[in-house]
Amino acid sequence: MKHLVTSFALALLTLQACKQNASDGSAGKTENAMEIKVSGETENQKAVNPPTVPAPIGDRAAKKVIVHLEATEEEGELADGVTYKFWTFNSTVPGSFIRIRVGDEVELHLKNASNSVMPHNIDLHAVNGPGGGAEATNVAPGKEAIFNFKALNPGLFVYHCAAAPVPLHIANGMYGLILVEPAGGLAKVDREYYIMQGEFYTKGKTDEKGLQEFDQDKGVDERPTYVVFNGKKNALMGANALQAKVGETVRIFVGNAGPNLVSSFHVIGEIFDKVYAEGGSKFNENVQTTVIPAGGAAMVEFKVEEPGEYVIVDHSIFRAFNKGAIGKLKVTGEKNPKVYHKVQ
Amino acid sequence: MSKIFKIFLCIGSFFFIFQACSKKPAGTKEKDASTFSTKEIQITPNVKMVSIKGGKYLPFYGDSSLVEVQDFLLDERPVTNAEFLDFVKKNPKWKRSNIKTLFADDTYLKNWQDDETLPKNADPEAPVTFVSWFAAKAFAKSAGKRLPTLDEWEYVAMADEESANARNKSEYSAHLINLYNEKLREKKKVQLSKPNYYGVYNMFDLVWEWTDDFNSIMTTADSRTGDFDDKGLFCASAATSAADVLNYASFMRYAFRSSLKANYTVENLGFRCAKDLQKNSK
Amino acid sequence: MKKLFIILFSFFLCFGCTENQEEKEIVNEKTADSIFLLDSKWQNQEGKEMKLEDLKGKNLVIAMIFTSCQTACPLLVADMKKVESKIDAKKLKETSLVLITIDPENDTPEVLKKYAQQRNMEGEPWIFLRTDLESTREFANVLAVKYKKITPIIFSHSNIISIFNKKGEMISQEEGTVNFDAIAKTVNGLK
Repeated sequence: MKHLVTSFALALLTLQACKQNASDGSAGKTENAMEIKVSGETENQKAVNPPTVPAPIGDRAAKKVIVHLEATEEEGELADGVTYKFWTFNSTVPGSFIRIRVGDEVELHLKNASNSVMPHNIDLHAVNGPGGGAEATNVAPGKEAIFNFKALNPGLFVYHCAAAPVPLHIANGMYGLILVEPAGGLAKVDREYYIMQGEFYTKGKTDEKGLQEFDQDKGVDERPTYVVFNGKKNALMGANALQAKVGETVRIFVGNAGPNLVSSFHVIGEIFDKVYAEGGSKFNENVQTTVIPAGGAAMVEFKVEEPGEYVIVDHSIFRAFNKGAIGKLKVTGEKNPKVYHKVQ
Repeated sequence: MSKIFKIFLCIGSFFFIFQACSKKPAGTKEKDASTFSTKEIQITPNVKMVSIKGGKYLPFYGDSSLVEVQDFLLDERPVTNAEFLDFVKKNPKWKRSNIKTLFADDTYLKNWQDDETLPKNADPEAPVTFVSWFAAKAFAKSAGKRLPTLDEWEYVAMADEESANARNKSEYSAHLINLYNEKLREKKKVQLSKPNYYGVYNMFDLVWEWTDDFNSIMTTADSRTGDFDDKGLFCASAATSAADVLNYASFMRYAFRSSLKANYTVENLGFRCAKDLQKNSK
Repeated sequence: MKKLFIILFSFFLCFGCTENQEEKEIVNEKTADSIFLLDSKWQNQEGKEMKLEDLKGKNLVIAMIFTSCQTACPLLVADMKKVESKIDAKKLKETSLVLITIDPENDTPEVLKKYAQQRNMEGEPWIFLRTDLESTREFANVLAVKYKKITPIIFSHSNIISIFNKKGEMISQEEGTVNFDAIAKTVNGLK
């Protein structure tokens, strides 16, 4: 109702507002983020499934953004013939990618599905405030919590459920990424993807068929049965491999949910032209492998010069080849012998 | 889409306010008539009560001092759909269409077909759910009983099939986590599983259960703040922390309780009744 | 052109704000339920028997305390006094500030009265109330106040100040370190 009125009043002015704010948009430094006024029409952010992400924010002005997340508990596939009772945000692991800009005011609706057994909440690392929102959003099955926050720091952040017992909620798949773009937006690239690493701890051994129960002892001992990208062994393999064309620049938003392990993120056969280490504002250049802490993230960018299949791994390599931390990027296009060719 | 909904809501609420205004002068007396009375019409659910021998126990959250639980009686199973139906028939103010949101939110008995018809395909012998704390309490009262205290409930919950205190068994928590994680468990009949050491059924495998003082847990909604002596939020709170950080099942129960308000009604939340041992009724 | 735009813009903003407030009340009208529905029996600091319904007709600012509390309750009571001082004199006549004990066994009417005297909280707009143990739990549940008896004289409880309108419908709550300005503002805005 509130939004209806404000958006109605402001809708008339949107065009002008955009024009006006575009000019001072780039001035939004972190220290002044508190002062950034929101304007324009309220956006209702549409959820898209990983590995896709919502469209870049570009140079739009800060505005109010409504994000809907639903906590669900559902059985799904963890590997071929292996099922698991996942807990999720919006029915995917990782949960929907949230994309906003610095200064945006987010109204986050966290619904807990009525057939949930557990209470859930959300802690967004992009939030300045106690518990990152966890305290404001603890929500019983069938109920909904709403809380507002203003994005003050640009960067790529993890969000996750922090209801007790926290490790279990994370180990079951309740995490995702939220990107806070700086004023003016990130540099334009050709492709953007969303990958999140996470561990699963099951009673049975890796690839043991059937419905697998959570194994608390393995969790406490930090001995995962699975280390996977996007909630499932082979989630980024075969028909689901990421795609790019020769000459394109690819940006991957990589998160690591843990709950325990640190990831050594690497793309076999590529060198990251840029790495926004730890998801922050500064980038490093010409990096082979970047470390992503549990509960942390990084943005990596690279231009692909040669067609072929590029294997994405956690370079703690047993994880990749035995526990599932492996994916693929398929690059199509003209061969580039100057860059790479087999002689004999 | 959601905007259209909001417009409807808006129009609806305006309509509502007009109605409310026009009704007000005449309506005051009407309201008085429907004021809550504490007297419930008596019901006599046919459920065996198990005598629980009291003792000292270590609460899951606390300052690691023992708490004494007196001898008491506990229903051997949760209250069933059939029993709750009987209760609302005899106590019409607890029917779905009569309930005030102060006492139950808008999902109260949500799955019932109407005021006096159980949900489609529901087993009358399955535990009743979508009931608020107020409704559970009223039911207990009309049966001459009360809700168990949190300590009483947790005291009995320490038992497995063989022993009164199975907390230290490594499989205790793991077993419960899997029971809790099962969907639609609330649809099952009561007493299909084995009773525990005391002869009490279904402590874990059907529904979460209301306790009288469910809101006495001094944790913040954010479970990670290790101790809960935030003077801003809680008064006189001793530093409390979890007695056994590996007991994930207990974390779940307490997390669930702390996400509740007394008028909440939830799909997998029911209750059972208790009674003091000496006195016949309160 | 730009300035004109800004003026227009702020005009719309103001418009937006007032609309918002109206909307808030509509919502409450629709969903809130009155605490006067509770049938529990209470006693005030004079020992007078009453029902919550007897509080009808005034806006209510309610906190739950116990008098032997040495830690947060004094702060909560101090906050209530600050709230009182910030409420407009005219509004104050239409307002009751109510302190409800969570320790009815120790906080008898005499104890409550003495407590009020010692703290200059006698007479209007102050009301101290107690009820039986069961109704205390019930009322705390209506406010979503958590409390637990730690020892016979010490309770742990959450610090919440709740505001109700004249019909007994909850308008808002403040938890923890209380923003008494905001509470007073809310009360001043009530009809």
